[in-house]
Amino acid sequence: MKVIDKIIRWGRLKSPWIIHFNTGACNACDIEIIAALTPRFDLERFGVQLKGTPRHADILVCSGPVTRQIKDRLQRIYCQMPEPKFVVAVGSCATSGGVFQDCYNVLGGIDRAIPVDAYIPGCPASPQAIIDGVVKLLKKLEESE
Amino acid sequence: MPYALFTILVFPGFLFLSAVSLFAEFFDRRIYARLQNRKGPPWFQPLADFIKLAAKEDIVPREADLAMFNLAPIFALTAVVTAFFYIPLWGTRALCSFQGDLIVVLYLLTIPTLTFFLGGWYSRSLFSALGAVRSITQLFAYEIPLFISLLAPALLADTWSLSGIAAYYQAHPFYWLFNLVGFGVALVALLGKLERVPFDIPEAETEIVAGSFTEYGGKMLAYFRLAIDSEAVVGASLLAAVYLPFGLGLNPLLGFVLYLIKVFFIIGLIALLRTVFARLRIDQMIVFCWQYVAPIAFLQILFNLVLKGFVLG
Repeated sequence: MKVIDKIIRWGRLKSPWIIHFNTGACNACDIEIIAALTPRFDLERFGVQLKGTPRHADILVCSGPVTRQIKDRLQRIYCQMPEPKFVVAVGSCATSGGVFQDCYNVLGGIDRAIPVDAYIPGCPASPQAIIDGVVKLLKKLEESE
Repeated sequence: MPYALFTILVFPGFLFLSAVSLFAEFFDRRIYARLQNRKGPPWFQPLADFIKLAAKEDIVPREADLAMFNLAPIFALTAVVTAFFYIPLWGTRALCSFQGDLIVVLYLLTIPTLTFFLGGWYSRSLFSALGAVRSITQLFAYEIPLFISLLAPALLADTWSLSGIAAYYQAHPFYWLFNLVGFGVALVALLGKLERVPFDIPEAETEIVAGSFTEYGGKMLAYFRLAIDSEAVVGASLLAAVYLPFGLGLNPLLGFVLYLIKVFFIIGLIALLRTVFARLRIDQMIVFCWQYVAPIAFLQILFNLVLKGFVLG
């Protein structure tokens, strides 16, 4: 069983598929996430692929503060992802609510709605920072399991 | 009996086909990446994807039909692997062959598209249903040109068996050059069959999420992906056997290498077309297939009939 577990862990580390979800961002972080996926940075080197459906994805990449309106949708998308699943919060708003903190229509950071595994600060977070954050998440997984 | 099981399960059966098809996916993605001036995935990427998907949680939507949802990927894989046994790979003899196995292979290669339809339809999701209907619509556009263009070399060889076709072109070297137009038609139709760009309309991720596979995840998606990769290799082998039947008399090792070169040449062509083109709309695709591709396939048949009746006969 040990060997099989090792092989499965290797597969998981080498093939993180992501889905990108905007929970109410101003679009700056979304543009940076898309920039990180372009041939310039070539995330496919690490096996990262952008998927359209939560059923295929392993990592949910969220940008923006959680607005009250989108909270249910975010939780539903999180529930639609098969285990094991991870969440990355990209940008200052996603980590804490940022400048939208204490707005009447904003809940706060992503962790107010769903559990978060990695925070990537920045306004907006640069593609290098996003790649670094994902690599750190993978490192954490490698050590924890 | 053990030998038969070995040929079916290991070489040149299921395991060999899986290994080649996983490598073919890497080859396709690597060429695509290099043409976009980037490095691309490492060689083990498709294997890592498969292992990861196989180890993930299986979710079946509550609305979905459990049996159809789970059976569709297995049927797709089974049909593709079965079709592989009738295709002569190196040498002129396939593992099994009988008069008319060309038709059987073509029908077996239609089953994956049918399972995409059934799997998507019984997912009971709007995106899946749209993808399913699109894949079956597309089937009617590319299937006729593919059938007609594959029948042209068979007409020239006067046999309906793939092994017979290979034997004929082995006996008459350079006759395969007459079928090059048909090869082009079959390649275009194969793009439609494999749902590759520019014919990836059924799984257009910018419009309908992931088409038929929207609700699939985990093991079932892994089987579907393996079936699609295997279908690419089986389709390329079929085209290589029918349109590029040269060097079949070589010794087994050289013949094996030549077979791999032919298959990866065709897969490389598909990757090149994937890079060059953008996605068409479904109506454009159907008009293109019926207005240009099918008539060219008919021309190939006419050419072969005239050639056979007046020049060679």
